[in-house]
Amino acid sequence: MALADPARRELKAVRWGLLAAALVASPVVAGVVYSAAAATGLAGFGPHGFSTDRLTRVLGEPAVWESLVWTIRTASLATLLASALAVLVAMTFRRSGRVDKLARTLAVLPLPVPHLVAATTAVLLLAQSGLLSRLGFAAGWLAGPADMPPLVYDRAGLGMVLTLAWKELPFLALVATTLLATRGAALEETARGLGAGPWDTFRLVTWPFLWRGLLPPVVAVLAFAAGSYEAAAMLAPSDPLALPLLTLERYTDPDLARRGDAFVLVLVGLMLTGAAVGLHEWVRYRTTELRG
Amino acid sequence: MGPSPSIPATTLVTLAAFSLAAASCGRAATPPPRDLARIPWDSLAASARGSTVTWRMWRGDPSINAYVDRWVSPRLLQRYGITLNAVEGQGAEIVNQLQVEKEARAGGTADLVWINGETFHQLRQADLLYGPWSGRLPNAAWVDSASPIISRDFEQDPMGYESPWGTVQFALIYDSARTPAPPRSYAELRQWILAHPGRFTHDQGFTGITLLKQLMYALGGGVERFQGGFHEEVYATASERIWRWLEEVRPALWRGGGSYPPGVAELHRLFANGEVDFTMSNNQNEVMTKVAQGIFPETARALLLRDGTIANAHFVGIPANAPNPAGAMVVADFLLSPEAQLEKARSPVWGDGTVLAEERLPGDWATSFAELARNPRALPRDSLARYARPEVDPEYHERLAREWRSRIRRGGS
Repeated sequence: MALADPARRELKAVRWGLLAAALVASPVVAGVVYSAAAATGLAGFGPHGFSTDRLTRVLGEPAVWESLVWTIRTASLATLLASALAVLVAMTFRRSGRVDKLARTLAVLPLPVPHLVAATTAVLLLAQSGLLSRLGFAAGWLAGPADMPPLVYDRAGLGMVLTLAWKELPFLALVATTLLATRGAALEETARGLGAGPWDTFRLVTWPFLWRGLLPPVVAVLAFAAGSYEAAAMLAPSDPLALPLLTLERYTDPDLARRGDAFVLVLVGLMLTGAAVGLHEWVRYRTTELRG
Repeated sequence: MGPSPSIPATTLVTLAAFSLAAASCGRAATPPPRDLARIPWDSLAASARGSTVTWRMWRGDPSINAYVDRWVSPRLLQRYGITLNAVEGQGAEIVNQLQVEKEARAGGTADLVWINGETFHQLRQADLLYGPWSGRLPNAAWVDSASPIISRDFEQDPMGYESPWGTVQFALIYDSARTPAPPRSYAELRQWILAHPGRFTHDQGFTGITLLKQLMYALGGGVERFQGGFHEEVYATASERIWRWLEEVRPALWRGGGSYPPGVAELHRLFANGEVDFTMSNNQNEVMTKVAQGIFPETARALLLRDGTIANAHFVGIPANAPNPAGAMVVADFLLSPEAQLEKARSPVWGDGTVLAEERLPGDWATSFAELARNPRALPRDSLARYARPEVDPEYHERLAREWRSRIRRGGS
C-alpha cells in the first residue's frame, strides 16, 4: 500500500536528516576509533599488537595529571569569568537606549576575532615588554620589563585566562541578551505585577531561567577552552604544560615509539569534554525533576 | 624561524586521525617506477615536462618562501615546464603524514620533502623514502662531497636517499650596543648569566636543544667523544654535567628558569623587545636577514662560541609514495645549480650556505660566491670553518630533548 504524501515526505526528511547526522558524526567516530587503536598498540608506528602498556605508562605519569589539572583549572576560570561578565553586561544594558545598544555592540565586538589573533594581541598587550608594560614604564610605575608581573608563559596562566574569557564573553553575552529579550521580559513583568520587588524578581525569576538557558553554551565554552591549542601555544607556561600542548609535543616526539602517547592524551581530552557534557545533563535532569 | 607566530593552528592530533579516514578514500597506491633509475637523464627530464611537483616544506620564514615562490618557481616553469606547489609541513609532521598515508594505503600527496637529521633517520627507519636517486643529478658533480658536514647527515650516510640543499652553522645573536663585551665560551657564558640574572634563556625547540648539544660537546671532552654512534655511558656522564651546569645557572635564567619560550621565534621576540639579551639561530646569517627586515636592531651581531658550534646540512628527499618522482628529481637538480645556490646564499634573500665546492665551479661562479663573504655583519669564513663541529647520532638529540623536558623544564615528560 502506498504511503500518503505527507508520510512519504516525512520519511524522506528523516532519511536526509540521518545522512546529515552520519556525515557530521563519521569523522568523530573515525577519530575516536583510531585514537583508541593507536593508544592500545593496534595502529601507529612500530609493531602492532594489543597492549595496555602505553595506557598505564602515560596515565601513570604525574606530569599528565598536572597538565590535566592545570587545563581544567584554566578553562574553568576563563569560563567562569566570561559567564559572570556576560550576565553583568546583559543585565546592566538590557534596555533599548542608545548607551545600552552601544555597550551591547562593544561587548560582542571580539566575536569575529580568530583565536590566534586574540592570543597574538594578548602577547602584544600583556607581555613583560608589551604595551601595558610600556605604558607603565612611561608613567613611571615600572622601571623595566622585569617589574611587570608575568602574564605570558606564567605558571598561573593568567594571560591565558584573560584572553579566553575576553574571546568567549561575546558569545555568552549574546545568548544572555537574547534570553532576557525574548523570554525574560514577559516573566519579569508578571512577577512585578504580582508584587515582587527588583531583588526578588532577579532572584526568583530572572536568574533561574538565565542560568538554565546559559548552561549549554557555558559547557560548550568550557569544552572549547580546555581543548584550545592556539591560546595555549602563545600564552601558556612550559611547566605545567597545557593538555593540547602536551598532546602535540608527544605526537611530534623525536622518539617514534612515544608518538602513540598522544592518542592516550586525546582520549583523556575526550573524557574531559565528555565529563563536562555529562555534568550538564545531570544538572539539567536534576533541575527538571525538581521543577516537575 | 621568523618572528611571526608560525603556530600550526589546527594541528591537533585528532585531525591527523581524521585525515586517515579521508586519505583512505584517495586513489590506490602507485609505487614510483623502480626503472626510473635506468632512464637517461634527458628523457627523465622530458617526461617531467608539464607535471606538477608538490614540495612539503617548512613555510615559517617569509624570506625562504619568497625565494621558493618568486625565484625558484617561475624558473622551473619557464625552463622545465614544471609547476611547483610548495605546501606547509616539517619534521615530525612529514613523518606522521607519510605514515598515515602508508597505513591507509593511499596515494602520496608530496613529491619532495625538505628534511634532515632525525626526520631523515625516522623516514629511513619506517622505509618511507624513495631511492637511491641523488647521485644521478647532473649538478651533484659540483657538491662538496669532501666536507664532513655535507656528506653526512647527523652521522648518517644519506646513501643517495636525499640530496643536499644548504648548510648552516649555529650562532648566538646579541646586541653590540646593549652587550659590548659578550661571552666567547661556555665558561664565560656561565659567568655572564650569573652576573646578569633574568637576561638569558633558550627555547624548548630544536634550536634550544642544539645549544645544549654544544654544551654537551664542551663539557664532555669535545665532539670526537660522541662520534661513531650513540654510546650510553658517554651520554650518561656528559648529560649529568649538563644538568648540573643548568641547575647552577637556572636561578639566573629568564623567569628564574621556571618557564621557557616555546620556540626560537618567541625567543627572537623576547630579544627584539629587550626582555633578554641573547637569542640564537641555527643559521649564522639569520642576523643579517632579520636586521634587513627591521626586526633586530642595526647593532645586532652573530657570535660563535670558541668551544665550537654545530654546523649541519639540510636536504631534500622523495617520499616512497611520491606521485611524480621524476619531476621531483628535476627540481632537486635545479636547486643544486650554481645559479640557484648563489641566489639562496645572498643575505637579503636567505643567507643559506651553499653545498657546492665553490673553488671547483666553472667561470665566474667562484668569484661570485667569494664576494658574498664581504658583508660587514657576515662572520669571517675562516672562523666559521675553525669552530664548525659536526652533528652526532640523532639519538643524542632525542635523549637530550626528552631528559631536558623531564629534568629541567618538567611540565609533562
